[in-house]
Amino acid sequence: MIILKNVTKYFQTKEGKNYILKDVSMTLPENTNIGILGRNGAGKSTLVRMLGQIEFPNKGRILSNKSFSWPLGLSGGFVGKMTGRSNVKFVCRLYGKNDQEINDIINEIRDFSELGNYFEMPIKTYSSGMKARLNFGLSMAFDFDYLLIDETLSVGDSRFKKKSKEALMKKIETCSILLVSHNMKTLKELCDAGIVVNNGEISYYEDINDAISEYENINKKKK
Amino acid sequence: MQRRHYLDIFYVVQKALFLRELNMRFSSSRLGLFWTFFEPFFQVLLFILLKIFLFGDRASNFEYAVFLALNFTAFNMFRNIVTKSIGSFSANRGLFIYKQVKPIDTIIARVLVEIFITSIIILMFLFIGYYFEYDMNVGNFNLVAFGFLFLIVFSFSLSLCLSVANTFINSVKTIVKFLMNALMFGSAIFYSLDMLSEEVQAILLYNPLTHFIVFIHSAYFQVIDSSPVDYTYMILWTTSLLFAGLWYYIKLEKRIISL
Repeated sequence: MIILKNVTKYFQTKEGKNYILKDVSMTLPENTNIGILGRNGAGKSTLVRMLGQIEFPNKGRILSNKSFSWPLGLSGGFVGKMTGRSNVKFVCRLYGKNDQEINDIINEIRDFSELGNYFEMPIKTYSSGMKARLNFGLSMAFDFDYLLIDETLSVGDSRFKKKSKEALMKKIETCSILLVSHNMKTLKELCDAGIVVNNGEISYYEDINDAISEYENINKKKK
Repeated sequence: MQRRHYLDIFYVVQKALFLRELNMRFSSSRLGLFWTFFEPFFQVLLFILLKIFLFGDRASNFEYAVFLALNFTAFNMFRNIVTKSIGSFSANRGLFIYKQVKPIDTIIARVLVEIFITSIIILMFLFIGYYFEYDMNVGNFNLVAFGFLFLIVFSFSLSLCLSVANTFINSVKTIVKFLMNALMFGSAIFYSLDMLSEEVQAILLYNPLTHFIVFIHSAYFQVIDSSPVDYTYMILWTTSLLFAGLWYYIKLEKRIISL
């Protein structure tokens, strides 16, 4: 369960405050995969970052007794100078894994990401697709109550896309996701409920299809 | 995922960051690594030669090479803690997506790495000292150790202030690097205070680092006068910097994370 209590979030711009959320209170139910929709700049990513506790509301609080992953975006916290292996090791250590668990996770990720010899090479030699594959593999290796995903499902070639979708489907059996996406097909496939972020307000829909039609309404009005 | 105690998290994060910093330091540039460990030896050698060149091989009442080694070890530790941790917020920005990594953790990790490197350098100096049979008798070991600890706290406090300032004001890093060179000449590192006139001594004693260096080497060599050391002045600097640093850090932590 995630509780938002009078949450206000704005960014200070030269023209004044640009509100993402304006005094929003709401409760999101447990064990529900939620899709987050909104126009570019509406604040979807900010909302996800606030849930991941790396961005903070200006007023109000976000409460939850669940664990959240880091926001899985395109740019992970990798160090270019270090090899894929040592980067993975670092994140494992951050989550307090012991040596045995680290070894297992490393093997799992090396097989999943299909990087071959590149796994032992510095990240700066990777292509963006390879980086994304490593990032995705890494995020699948830990057990969180909520996975925060910010438009990263379209990584790699079509074969890897299929593979990562399968991995994610399997992951969803044991955890919930909060997914930001502009791809309606993916949203319908993966999510039960939806949130639409618009003009400093967010609305929750128990059915993802309602959320999608509301989002399409907003888009029509703006045109 | 089970909930962890915040001290467990702190320990786990420190361990991960420490190993990562070491990995980066040792794998990035061979030349940099070489310089890290041999710079102190070059410094000591340079000033021994300089002294012989300028004053001849005049005997003093303490071992000048050991005096230099001690002072440069302390000064290099201070300088490296400050200059290395000042950029740690920007260098580790990518890590703040993991919510357990707080910006202050990255400073602490870099301080720990510098302490680790300093320990290795001390061991190297000891080894060389024994090999060449230098007189390395320590006057008051506990006081020397305390001096180093005190200096670490002082360096950390200064680093914290400067790191926060560096995040919001440009050019801080450049100014600090420049000032470090000036500090090397104005902190009683390759001379002892009693070699200087009273007026110059009075000026140098405004510099808090002079107090720390004199504190350490007067505890090591009992023949050196420890009376210029003003404990109140050292404590005042350290606590003011620590409180200012922590206060600004706590106020600005969230902004540093989501910058």
